[in-house]
Amino acid sequence: MDLNDARTLLWLASALYGAALIAGLSLASKERRLPSMVPFVLILFAFAGHTRGLYFRGLDVHGCPLGNGMERIQFILWSVVTGYLIMRILFRLNLLGSFAAGLAGIGGALSLLSPGLDSNYWLEPSYKRLFSGPWIELHASVAIFSYGLFALLAVVSVMYLVQQKALQAKRTGALGAHLPSIHQLETAGQCLLLVGVIFLTASIVVGSMHWTRSPASISSVKLWVTIGLWIAYCGLWYLHFRQKLYGKKFANACIALFALAILSLGFVRSAPQRQETAPQPSFEDAN
Amino acid sequence: MPTEPPNLFLLGSSHRVASLEERERISLPADSIDDFYKGLQALPGLKESLVLNTCNRTEIYVSGNGSPPLGPVSEYLMNFRKLENAFLEKHTYRRQGEAVVKHAFEVTSGIDSQMVGETEILGQVKEAYDDALNRESTGKVLNRVFQKSFQAAKWVRTHTGISRGQVNLGNVICELARRIFGDVSACRFLVVGSGEVAEMALDAFGSRGARAITVTGRTYEKARELAEKSKGSVLGFDSFRESLHLFDVVLCSTSGKDPILTREAVRKAIAKRPARPLFLIDVSMPRDVEQSVGDLESVYLYNLDDVSAIANENLKSRQAEVAKCREALEKRAGLIWNQLLFSSNPPA
Repeated sequence: MDLNDARTLLWLASALYGAALIAGLSLASKERRLPSMVPFVLILFAFAGHTRGLYFRGLDVHGCPLGNGMERIQFILWSVVTGYLIMRILFRLNLLGSFAAGLAGIGGALSLLSPGLDSNYWLEPSYKRLFSGPWIELHASVAIFSYGLFALLAVVSVMYLVQQKALQAKRTGALGAHLPSIHQLETAGQCLLLVGVIFLTASIVVGSMHWTRSPASISSVKLWVTIGLWIAYCGLWYLHFRQKLYGKKFANACIALFALAILSLGFVRSAPQRQETAPQPSFEDAN
Repeated sequence: MPTEPPNLFLLGSSHRVASLEERERISLPADSIDDFYKGLQALPGLKESLVLNTCNRTEIYVSGNGSPPLGPVSEYLMNFRKLENAFLEKHTYRRQGEAVVKHAFEVTSGIDSQMVGETEILGQVKEAYDDALNRESTGKVLNRVFQKSFQAAKWVRTHTGISRGQVNLGNVICELARRIFGDVSACRFLVVGSGEVAEMALDAFGSRGARAITVTGRTYEKARELAEKSKGSVLGFDSFRESLHLFDVVLCSTSGKDPILTREAVRKAIAKRPARPLFLIDVSMPRDVEQSVGDLESVYLYNLDDVSAIANENLKSRQAEVAKCREALEKRAGLIWNQLLFSSNPPA
């Protein structure tokens, strides 16, 4: 096992996330044979491997690794776990780590299993670096980080719906008794949405500086999809803030909007625009 | 001179044969017990009677002479509660002789309760017996059966593990409140009614650090007493609906005929706190909260059957104790029945 190889490290991280999920669920079941810290420790090791794997890939591509589908998925999943680790300081939400680890483990493994998603674009002779400038790199990475926060928001929303359904069905067994309260989940969802919107807004502000200098470099489809998504998340936050949308409908809206955000990745990503002398997958390529 | 052998009969309905809605139809409203007894005691061929009317069961114990009086008792109940014959047949059970003694023992011991092993039923049976004594409707047979049933209940508590691991209703409510609000100590509780269930729930809320406890009830004095006991405040019964939006957990345990919380009243309260859930627990019989309230967004409505089912979740581990209790109570019931037979027909 080569621990200096990005893919090996990412596989290792996926396996450890999977182990954390299993450990978390076994703790939630009646047979508590593991110390309660085991899932968290597994997540920490997985996160360390994940970060190191992305770092090595970043060295390969000379930038934030967002050049192909696998890298983008891995970066979103890394953002999910980062968001969870920060959330853990603010809210002690039972099983959120297990849910986040499950998403990171399964999503990560699937992205690694699809060879088409992980093209070795940086090995092309004409390739020099991924982004045309540091601001574009910042824009892309912050945008993808906000996607990670929205993914975590979707995870929290799923937990909300599971808890809500269990309470409505008057069931106490299974997962319901171990999940956080619906009030805590709604509060956590509100925070994640706000922070996600702040990151997305920051990314758009940075990106717009590039766009005003070079309007032709960004397709109108990408522009409108990005603005549409930003308006949708801002609108969602506003409706929740004004208590017009809450509870089950808010959770459903968070999940639906995240599904749209993932689908929008296909629209906002255009074909790499390489130059003969200095190939640059560019800002559009990354986001 | 030998007397007639005792005739002992029971007509009853409980959670075993009737759902909450069905029990609601059969149950006797608290203010109609007097009238019911008057008519019951006037039935021909009936010497003794006792009515046990709790939130989970309505049982009429009678002792007569001559022909079995269950037919007239059933007809009387049917007319009194305006029920159809087929409905009553389907949702009631009838016992006779030794089986009545055994049933009374199991009921008093909590074996037959919806929350198996609960102790509240002993107090309720004692209350029903005292009430019957005051009305002079019991005699030699029912006195002996019920006095012995109290002894049997004590024996069960002392010699078996039936109550071990039994989940208290108040704890079930607190656990559900935790799943809705997280920190139970920060929840605002309103208790409507001042019965034993209300007391039990207040104890559980208090033990979890709840500070914002309010009590209301039709009888202001009773509500005030309970509020003082739980270091809470008291609220006028007439105005509590207007303040409903201020509370997170509302426990209803009154004994009124009509619902005290309608869908409209709860909808108005929720509109004032749209994003904060409201947890309603209705342990009354008949119910205090309209069933359709449970369909409202952000409202979690649990009735007696729901909380009892949760409390019984660990029942499997106590099944062996339940079987042990049944066996012991059957032996005791046989003994008492033989004594009753013997006292009426002593050997020459």
